[in-house]
Amino acid sequence: MKRREFLKYTAIAGYGLVIGHKFGGLITPADAAERYDMVVARGAGKTPSVITKAAIDAFGGMKRFISRGDIVVIKPNIGWDRTPEQAANSNPEVVAAIVKLCFDAGAKKVKVFDRTVNDPRRCYKQSGIADAVSSLGAEVSYIDERRFKDVSIKGQVLKSWPLYTDILEADKIINVPIAKHHGLSKLTMSVKNWMGIMGGQRGRIHQKIGESLADICLVVKPSLTVLDAVRILTTNGPQGGSLADVKRLDTVVVGTDQVGVDSYGATLFGMKGSDLSYVKAGAAAGIGIMDLSRLKIKKLNV
Amino acid sequence: MSKKTCRKISQGFFLLLFLFLFVQTESRGNDTLGYPVKLFLDFDPLIFITTILASQAQKIPVAFFLSLSVILATVLLGRIFCGWICPLGALHNIVGSLKKSHPRKMHADWHKTKYYILFILLAASVFTLQLAGFMDPISLLIRSFSLSIFPLLNHGIRGLFDSIYNAHIPGIVDLSEPVYGFLKKNILSFREPYYLQAVFVGSLFVVILSLNFFERRFWCKYLCPLGALLGLLSRFSLLKREVSEGCTSCGICESRCQGGALSEKGETWKNTECLACFDCDDICPQNVVNFSLGRKPHPSVNLGRRQVIISLASGILTVPLVRSTPFSRSDFSAPGVLRPPGALEEKEFLKRCVKCGECMKVCITNGLQPTFLETGFEGLWSPRLIPRIGYCEYRCTLCGQVCPTGAIQRLPLEEKMKVKIGLAMIDKGRCLPYAHATACIVCEEVCPTSPKAIWFEEFPVKGRGGKELIVKQPHIDLDRCIGCGICEAKCPVGNRPAIYVTNIGESRSKTNQLLLL
Repeated sequence: MKRREFLKYTAIAGYGLVIGHKFGGLITPADAAERYDMVVARGAGKTPSVITKAAIDAFGGMKRFISRGDIVVIKPNIGWDRTPEQAANSNPEVVAAIVKLCFDAGAKKVKVFDRTVNDPRRCYKQSGIADAVSSLGAEVSYIDERRFKDVSIKGQVLKSWPLYTDILEADKIINVPIAKHHGLSKLTMSVKNWMGIMGGQRGRIHQKIGESLADICLVVKPSLTVLDAVRILTTNGPQGGSLADVKRLDTVVVGTDQVGVDSYGATLFGMKGSDLSYVKAGAAAGIGIMDLSRLKIKKLNV
Repeated sequence: MSKKTCRKISQGFFLLLFLFLFVQTESRGNDTLGYPVKLFLDFDPLIFITTILASQAQKIPVAFFLSLSVILATVLLGRIFCGWICPLGALHNIVGSLKKSHPRKMHADWHKTKYYILFILLAASVFTLQLAGFMDPISLLIRSFSLSIFPLLNHGIRGLFDSIYNAHIPGIVDLSEPVYGFLKKNILSFREPYYLQAVFVGSLFVVILSLNFFERRFWCKYLCPLGALLGLLSRFSLLKREVSEGCTSCGICESRCQGGALSEKGETWKNTECLACFDCDDICPQNVVNFSLGRKPHPSVNLGRRQVIISLASGILTVPLVRSTPFSRSDFSAPGVLRPPGALEEKEFLKRCVKCGECMKVCITNGLQPTFLETGFEGLWSPRLIPRIGYCEYRCTLCGQVCPTGAIQRLPLEEKMKVKIGLAMIDKGRCLPYAHATACIVCEEVCPTSPKAIWFEEFPVKGRGGKELIVKQPHIDLDRCIGCGICEAKCPVGNRPAIYVTNIGESRSKTNQLLLL
């Protein structure tokens, strides 16, 4: 999110708060007066859904991002035929908590999908995500190859690429990646999660991974990014396999600036945002802010 | 309700059950299917007996013993399986009903053909050659449906709905897409199935069905080896047919007899050919035909001693004929032929594989494909993994679950994940970081083992103009590699991948090994 945009939102939210008082708490966030660029919620021993809800509430609540009647796309990482304990896909409880908050905020429809790497049926099922969110009324669908449309990007590397129509047509987009290790890009989090909406032979973008991913961010603009660091995969990513490589952090990071969120995410692995090519490329392209000292981060113990 | 109606209901029920189980032979994301999809194969005494013979009774799946019930039922009641249960028989009836008149065309002696076919198959299986699957009706039916008929249906229906979708006619798509969604969810396969030899296998099936236009139930009367086996078993069955006083010898029953069991205007009845359809009972204008249970001597079956000996000898001679190829040598294999995980050692595998196509139908990535002659005639239509079409999904064990004969062993997941079906090798002349100074890590990214079987060496390379950059060059840890082929499937060097799997190092072979330990 650009700074100007942020100020605008703050102003609107502040106004909403005043009005809210008049209407007897129509808008609920407790400390909404104070706005942050990012909220990091940690809750050792708490359920992922409690941590997620606390993080989003502290960030201004879901109503700040979702309006009544919105069609919302939630894009988790469901790329791999792995179970939640193996920390290769976004945590199903985190995704489910967000779905619920969206419906509570008045969303008309919530869609959840990903273009998986392993067999889609297995990924959707084994990740626990399909079961967790379809019971809440979200529309869980497998990728329909017919729905990729060539989109003009005019990026540094990608001039155009087939992207998924549902993302392009959504009223609001929420990016829900998991923080984990990756062999080439070192870590994969928010920015790299957009590979899941790319059609065609997307494997080729690894040749210029940083710039390519930053290019995608020029056309896909999430309203909210929720980084799942409940369990992080520290090595053998992006699909892991061994529980020995999984570290439990019980952490959820929420922000509107996905470059900033990834830059913070790097610190969970003892790295810096500048260690990651796509964070650097994203910052250079003006997608977001890499320098954490310039961001107002609220740390929250749940 | 007439016996004929009962029989038709029974046939319809079993045909629908067969089709239902066939459609359920597909993953829904769990590692189990939820239905006993190979049920009809479990009840098939022909492949049961030939598997026991060919495998010398080793590693016989327990479910196979269900077929003893069909044997018992046949011994007591005759060929009720053929008339009331067999789904291929029901299809023959359906196709045959399109033919208006039904005179008998072949001489009655042609009945014997199926027995000679059976003797060839049995004799070959005694000497460990399993050929029964080529002609066993259940294997034939599942194979034809899996590899050809169902893909054809999928392709046709998807093509139709896709053209409607892409035509952008307002209103129509709103109607067609829900119908398409329903079909996709309940009948069509998850991904469009494609098989090598779909045309070959499908054409044979169409020919077999078309024989009904020549003579109804041609296959069942003259060719089916399972029918022959059940015919022999029904030799002393308790089913008996009696014609009481008042028969006018009109001959209608003989002309309508589905198995060709009647001769001399319906007065002579061969119980081994009778499909127990009871049509003659229903159709008799004088109502003098009666079926009942009881002991009564049946006319003997004369197959001709000389012919029986010749067919047995032919079966035996087929064994060296089929096996006199380099594939019989232990140090020779087709390097590109990857067998499914859990497949027994090649010779043992071929002794059991009945080419039913269940594993190819259930394979989650469509990677299991029928061989042609890559492993010799004995291997025709046996499954091989072609990673470029579909890799072996690391945490999937479905092929071993649906194999009726144990040719592919059912392995627990933990064990399956360790089975090597081959090893990957890198083509450095095509691999981007090696040959073209370009970054690429796709093979490593998708490698499912933990730790990964692909590791990197950071290597300085120079592009054109001398600009130096450091690329990660992949290496394969042969200890860790299981040959699943996902690297080959996802390699961006598309048409001929820069990483590919051959079967060297496969766990099931003692001889096809590479490393010292």
